[in-house]
Amino acid sequence: MQGASSGVGYGLKYQARCISDVKADTDHTSFITGTLSLREENEVHLIRLSSGGTELICEGLFSHPNEIWDLSSCPFDQRIFSTVFSTGESYGAAVWQIPELYGQLNSPQLEKIASLDAHSGKINCILWWPSGRNDKLISIDEENLFLWSLDCSKKAAQVQSKESAGMLHYLSGGAWDPHDVNAVAATCESSVQFWDLRTMNKTNSIDCTHVRNVDYDTKKKHILVTAEDESGIHVWDLRMPKVPIKELPGHAHWTWAISCNPEYDGLILSGGTDSTVNLWLASTSTGDGMTSESLVESPTQLVDPLLNSYSDYEDSVYGLAWSSREPWIFASLSYDGRVRHFKHLS
Amino acid sequence: MGVDDVPLDDKAKRMRDLLSSFYSPDPAMSSSNSSKFASLDAINTTSFDADQYMNLLVQKSNLEGLLQKHVEMAAEIKNLDTDLQMLVYENYNKFISATDTIKRMNNNIVGMEANMEQLLEKIMSVQSRSDGVNTSLFEKREHIEKLHRTRNLLRKVQFIYDLPARLGKCIKSEAYADAVRFYTGAMPIFKAYGDSSFQDCKRASEEAMGTVIKNLQGKLFSDAESIQARAEAAVLLKQLDFPVDSLKAKLFEKLEQSLEDLQLKTEEITNVLEDSSDPINLATTNDASIREFVEAIRAYRVIFPDSEKQLIKLSQDLIAKHFEITEQYIKEQISVAKFLGVLRIIWRDVLLMDEVLNEAFLPDYSLGAAQVVVKQYVANTFSHLLRDISDALTVNIHMKVEELPLQIALETSKNAVLKGSMDVLVDFRHFLDDNLGFLLKLRDSIVDWVQEGFQDFFMALDKQFLLLSGRNKSVSQEQGLTEGMMVDKVLAGLVLVLAQLSVFIEQTAIPKITEEIATSFSGGGVRSFENGPAFVPGEICRIFRSAGEKFLHHYITMRTQRVSVLLKKRFKAPNWVKHKEPREVHMFVDLFLQELEAIGAEVKQLLPEGGLRKHRRSESNGSTTSSRSNPLRDDRMTRTNTQRARSQLLETHLAKLFKQKVEIFTKTEFTQESVVTTIVKLCLKSLQEFVRLQTFNRSGFQQNQLDIQFLRSPLKETVEDEAAIDFLLDEVIVGTSERCLDPIPLEPPILDKLIQAKLAKKREQNAITS
Repeated sequence: MQGASSGVGYGLKYQARCISDVKADTDHTSFITGTLSLREENEVHLIRLSSGGTELICEGLFSHPNEIWDLSSCPFDQRIFSTVFSTGESYGAAVWQIPELYGQLNSPQLEKIASLDAHSGKINCILWWPSGRNDKLISIDEENLFLWSLDCSKKAAQVQSKESAGMLHYLSGGAWDPHDVNAVAATCESSVQFWDLRTMNKTNSIDCTHVRNVDYDTKKKHILVTAEDESGIHVWDLRMPKVPIKELPGHAHWTWAISCNPEYDGLILSGGTDSTVNLWLASTSTGDGMTSESLVESPTQLVDPLLNSYSDYEDSVYGLAWSSREPWIFASLSYDGRVRHFKHLS
Repeated sequence: MGVDDVPLDDKAKRMRDLLSSFYSPDPAMSSSNSSKFASLDAINTTSFDADQYMNLLVQKSNLEGLLQKHVEMAAEIKNLDTDLQMLVYENYNKFISATDTIKRMNNNIVGMEANMEQLLEKIMSVQSRSDGVNTSLFEKREHIEKLHRTRNLLRKVQFIYDLPARLGKCIKSEAYADAVRFYTGAMPIFKAYGDSSFQDCKRASEEAMGTVIKNLQGKLFSDAESIQARAEAAVLLKQLDFPVDSLKAKLFEKLEQSLEDLQLKTEEITNVLEDSSDPINLATTNDASIREFVEAIRAYRVIFPDSEKQLIKLSQDLIAKHFEITEQYIKEQISVAKFLGVLRIIWRDVLLMDEVLNEAFLPDYSLGAAQVVVKQYVANTFSHLLRDISDALTVNIHMKVEELPLQIALETSKNAVLKGSMDVLVDFRHFLDDNLGFLLKLRDSIVDWVQEGFQDFFMALDKQFLLLSGRNKSVSQEQGLTEGMMVDKVLAGLVLVLAQLSVFIEQTAIPKITEEIATSFSGGGVRSFENGPAFVPGEICRIFRSAGEKFLHHYITMRTQRVSVLLKKRFKAPNWVKHKEPREVHMFVDLFLQELEAIGAEVKQLLPEGGLRKHRRSESNGSTTSSRSNPLRDDRMTRTNTQRARSQLLETHLAKLFKQKVEIFTKTEFTQESVVTTIVKLCLKSLQEFVRLQTFNRSGFQQNQLDIQFLRSPLKETVEDEAAIDFLLDEVIVGTSERCLDPIPLEPPILDKLIQAKLAKKREQNAITS
């Protein structure tokens, strides 16, 4: 843990917001990231951690037509990823494929598999089926939730179903429940909403304001972590949606991104606009519910849940990704376009 | 002869010895001895050998001695001869006189027989006479005896007939003992003949007895009678086979009733206690009644000796009732003096009762009860203190009339905490100083309770603060929905008051209380040693220090949240890509400044000023920051074309590489400036983040440039860290330009003009409002 403070760095040319773990690449620890530049030529970088773990190597550099607001890698094909992009005036979303033999080409072009063009407003994010090969995709814009069915071979995507979140509910993001593939959490102005994809109905909601990011605990069912602007990080048990089971102080300014470790239960990574990344250990034992929490309140107050704070950033940290291949490694991306890998040895 | 008495006797004795030895049945024995012990003196023994004696004498003695011996012997022989003669003569004389006496007896016996016969005859005649008399008097005597018996019977009958009258008389003279004795005397008769001959009489006397019983009961129940009289009455009633148990029960009921009266009186007393401040006076009135009760108990014990159990129960009930009433008073928050007064009365009652009812162990019993009551009182006092403090906090804040509600709230609550705690301590000292029986015994426990009380009190206060601040969601959830509603509307000011109050408690109140406790409440020791002292000031200080920081942080969060909402509306609502040319400074700036003003007003009421105006920059060299930002700003103002704007961006990045990171998120202190600065910094950072999420056209960028430029001077006035503010404002502009499709800044003259116009408008508005 101590030696982890100095990570491996990698610089993007422009500012950037999003980074994603390439889950499908089982041979290497790789991440994919895209730049956010309004007026310049944007790029998508495929980064690989060298086998010694001492270097970040650029495996591929592809130009992307617009600035990238959201990027996520396909969980079953390492060459496929999705982006949400903006031309400055309008938004678009697409699924891309990295061309084969890209190493040999001079300036490889990304191959657009499908354009998710049913949206009208600002698109927030695209969610892939949580694990395994499936053709389902979700895209969330400010007002609607789309369920797509993607056909890679035919290079087409079709809207399977669509539901409007309702007026005045400006959606801002979401997460797909890894334990229940029919459930999706979507964040909006004043709450986190839960949708059932079979019926496309809202099933539940948690009242909490200014949620920036949301993530499911990959190991424990019913546990959801939210990052909020001012009030830090909350851990929720969806069976008791009234009160969070845990509160973490978060960051000095907003907590922007949050990510639960794919292997280690209760290990939470958060990135904030105070240019720090914090690593928390929040044991989410919920067996006894509220009573045990009030009982153990004093001891937990004594034990600082903050394991480590990485403050060596120049700007706000918007992008975070745990490596699913080596779950003790995470990548963080600050706005100035610097990717940093850290090894958290637990 | 008389003269020779002794030698004669001596001589006689020897003679008799010799005689007896002469007649002795076993001369051989003595002769066997003689040869052995032959000596000069053995002349008197039977084995005397004259020749040997002679030889011995001759051998031993000289002539003169022999001669003398000879003379002596000759004299002795002579003497012996005369003695022998005398003996013979005397014996002869006696024999003669005995013969004479026998002769005279023979003569006398001859006439006696005739006399005896005569005597027998006479006795016979006397007997026959007396028999005659007896038979002649027998009849008369029998008659007399009969008459006598009748007379006795008649006397009894007379007595019974007289009984009612007599009883009446007894009643009149109140000689109930006599009456009862008479009546019980007559009882067998009444039992035997009551139904026939003495019916009337019986009825009359029963009536009389009825009054007697009634009177006796009256006497028993009347408190005016002496205890002796009452006890007698009870005994008499018992003799009359009156059901004493029911009487006992009745009397006991009466006792209980008087007990109830007594309780009522206690109540009255405590009522009056509350009105007047003269407990001594009241104590005396109560005194009388309790004394009465004690007397009654004493009497009851005398009257019914086997009644301790009931009495013990009764008196314990009384004590219990006393304590119950006291508990009720505790709920009404009585002062220590009054509480002590009540305790004193109870203790005195206990002691009084203990005198008469030693078996009840009333002091022990009441000690247990007192323990509960005192403990409750301590707990109650603390809960009142807690309520007072939260009242002081909330009431003043919700009253909008005052000029500086927060300051007043803070001062009153500070006062409530410190003075309240001190008052509590002073009050509890009364407990310790008082020499009342229980309190002396409870002294150690009281010390512990007080310490524990303070510990719990501050813990509870911390919880209460959390509840008031609405921070602890889970707590509010537990408290129920009504509380939750209240929590929603928590004022930011209150949170700041709580923050400052926590600091005050940590820095001022706790040390004072600790000192006070150390001086007068040390010791204790009923608690086991492993637990340590009940009051741990260090722990409390730690709690309140962290609470203070938390509240301050919470206040800042609450305030920045409001601004965030404002900013969010500002940046989300318009379509920035189609923004029109800026005409004036946008009104969100006014709202933002208003918020800051409100914060400033709250902060000024509560927090101290923070010494010098510090320019907190990066630790190493603040000069680079300012030198970087200032020319940059000036540059931006002067350059007009796109190219320059772009190169300026590059410059920013370059500058960033070389400059030290400005510490935006420094630790907040409990000063006006520090808090305001932190809030402004956080707001500007939020502004930057909002800007980064948008895409602007040229006009949008220029609008932002204008707004930020306008904010620059008023913000700098309010904060202590100008460099950081400059940096953040620049960052906002840089961020906007980065997110701008066509970043061409406004010309400085236009910028200036618009700002001046806004300022003029503001002045105008101020003039109108004021």
